[in-house]
Amino acid sequence: MAAQGVAAQSFRQAMAWLHTWFGLVLGFVLMAAFFFGALSVFDREIDRWAIPSTRFEPQPMPSYEQILRPAFERMQPTQQAIDAMRPRVDGPMPEHFDTVANWSAYTTHRDPVLALFAGFQVPGAKDPDEAIFALGTIDPRDGTALPDDRLKIGSGFFYPMHYSLTLDWKNLGVWIVGFSALVMLAALVSGVVMHRKFFRELFTFRPGKGGLRSVLDLHNLTGVVALPFHFFFAFTGLVIFSATYFFPVGHTQLHDLHDLHAATEASELGLPHKRAGVPAGLANVDAMVAEAQRRWAARDMAGDVGFLVLQHVGDANGYVSVYRAGTDRIALVGQGIHFKASTGVLIREDPVATPVGKVAEFLTGLHLQHFRHWLLRWLYVLGGLLGAVCIATGFVFFVEKRKRQHAKQGSQGARIVDALAVTMITGMVAATLGILVANRLLPDDLPARGDWERYAFWGTWALALLHAGLRSAPVARGLANPAWREQCGAIVVLALAAVGLNWITTGDHLLRTLGAGYWPVAGLDLALLATAAIAGATGLHLRRRAAATAAVEHPRREAAHA
Amino acid sequence: MHEASHAAWLLSAALLASLVGMAWLALAMPAHGQQVWGAPVPPAHARVLRVLGAVALAVSLALCLASDHASMAALVWVMSLAGGAFATAMALAWRARWLALLAPWIGAVDTATTR
Repeated sequence: MAAQGVAAQSFRQAMAWLHTWFGLVLGFVLMAAFFFGALSVFDREIDRWAIPSTRFEPQPMPSYEQILRPAFERMQPTQQAIDAMRPRVDGPMPEHFDTVANWSAYTTHRDPVLALFAGFQVPGAKDPDEAIFALGTIDPRDGTALPDDRLKIGSGFFYPMHYSLTLDWKNLGVWIVGFSALVMLAALVSGVVMHRKFFRELFTFRPGKGGLRSVLDLHNLTGVVALPFHFFFAFTGLVIFSATYFFPVGHTQLHDLHDLHAATEASELGLPHKRAGVPAGLANVDAMVAEAQRRWAARDMAGDVGFLVLQHVGDANGYVSVYRAGTDRIALVGQGIHFKASTGVLIREDPVATPVGKVAEFLTGLHLQHFRHWLLRWLYVLGGLLGAVCIATGFVFFVEKRKRQHAKQGSQGARIVDALAVTMITGMVAATLGILVANRLLPDDLPARGDWERYAFWGTWALALLHAGLRSAPVARGLANPAWREQCGAIVVLALAAVGLNWITTGDHLLRTLGAGYWPVAGLDLALLATAAIAGATGLHLRRRAAATAAVEHPRREAAHA
Repeated sequence: MHEASHAAWLLSAALLASLVGMAWLALAMPAHGQQVWGAPVPPAHARVLRVLGAVALAVSLALCLASDHASMAALVWVMSLAGGAFATAMALAWRARWLALLAPWIGAVDTATTR
């Protein structure tokens, strides 16, 4: 009996060690994953705020014949893409790319603008399968081209931050985030083991108790109430990237087999893998889309087109694939319907998935959230922010538990962790606001404007790190780092500046956006104001506490001198 | 438009049911009864609160299912439980006495008898 108790005790201690140290090291990564994940829930809406010329209502997939065809026909790769491709081609690059490998258009129920992609065959490419690509963005109402060089801060920056920290070199960021997600699963299990009063303290937060108790309460509370969210999002994140993490061999060791498989699969499905080399015309694509919608309706599914692909354009082997935008359910599936391009005859309708496939579709769909459900989106934001608070309180607990002891021993450990925690919590919020402020301040026609916006983000974050480090000396004496409250002040200023600059530069103040019911911009402005309010209240609270501590410390020091 | 507002009502009711359900479950616990009424609720009352809480959470699930496809309803419900539990914890921390309104049949008299 006693031996069992000892074993349980040492098991719990082992779990505590794991939770503390892995949580500390990878918590910095997870903090970014949670925070930018919460922002990515509304990535399309943040894009609207950041690119004022796209502030209009979401549009359905437009008519191919009237809008898409002329837009596709205008597309050509940029000079930059051509130069990048040049080393992988024997002979000169052509002036004009004529052989279209594929054209595609993508939209969601939240996108006012339409993203277009075009792939072209390159004569003389060393890898004949390698295509050169062109991207475009159009206004789907009339087909006019929109500037495509603007940084989509939501879907083009915060979202990649969420899963890759924007470290693209050798996919390093994806690997770091994935490893952290794996460790997070371990941290959740070890946390539940350590937390003996899981149900008894489910609703417990005692802010009055002060010190370690209230911090640990908040850590447990935010971890436990959203435990299913934390678990499933770490897990499904790994599922989404499973092809990268667990089977990264398709494009390395097994390249030939991969290609053979693609060709076999294509012939089995009746969807030609390669061009026939025989020119052919194109039947009415709008009629194919209408037929696809009729088939979805017969299966009792919403019929918005999310993704339209024309493969092997102008060739006898050409086909058109119409995919559904999955707005009405969680599972991320396209229910693709494929037609022969030259005749418009149906080739194939994607079958219903196997049970295992359905589970995978549900798991990836719940994370990638293509559904139309505003309440669930906001609940995901809540889940993400609860996760961020859980990690933040973990850092604070780590420091508070050790700083007095470290002060006595003359160790700098708590001081360093505390400065990094400031950087990772208030500094990250400040950096996020920094890019929004830069977005509204930089001149419209600045070359490489998106790069400058990114520099503003990283620059603000670097300043936050510097500031947190320079102000960290009191932690080594067992006191609080004033950087916490000072960066709260910076957040207030930056958040209010972002709202004000949006008003000045676009005329879209809250009364107007709320009056018009234009929630993408109104929502972000309101969130910025809420951020300012929370940071302001926190900063004042910390200042009062610092004043109270100083009042206690001061007479004590004088007494020591006397 | 009519359908959208119908769904909005169902989902608002589901959120409310999750919140109230979580609050009832919390009030049945000795520590939180202490916070709200100054003493834990007597066992008979605690049992009633627990049953009410469980029923409210079930009602919340039913409302979610009435509003959306089952796969989506399950997620909305689980997340609404998280929101309800968090809101209950915050209410207990800052405005504990407000929660007494959710169980007006439990007066100070009832809890006083257990002292």
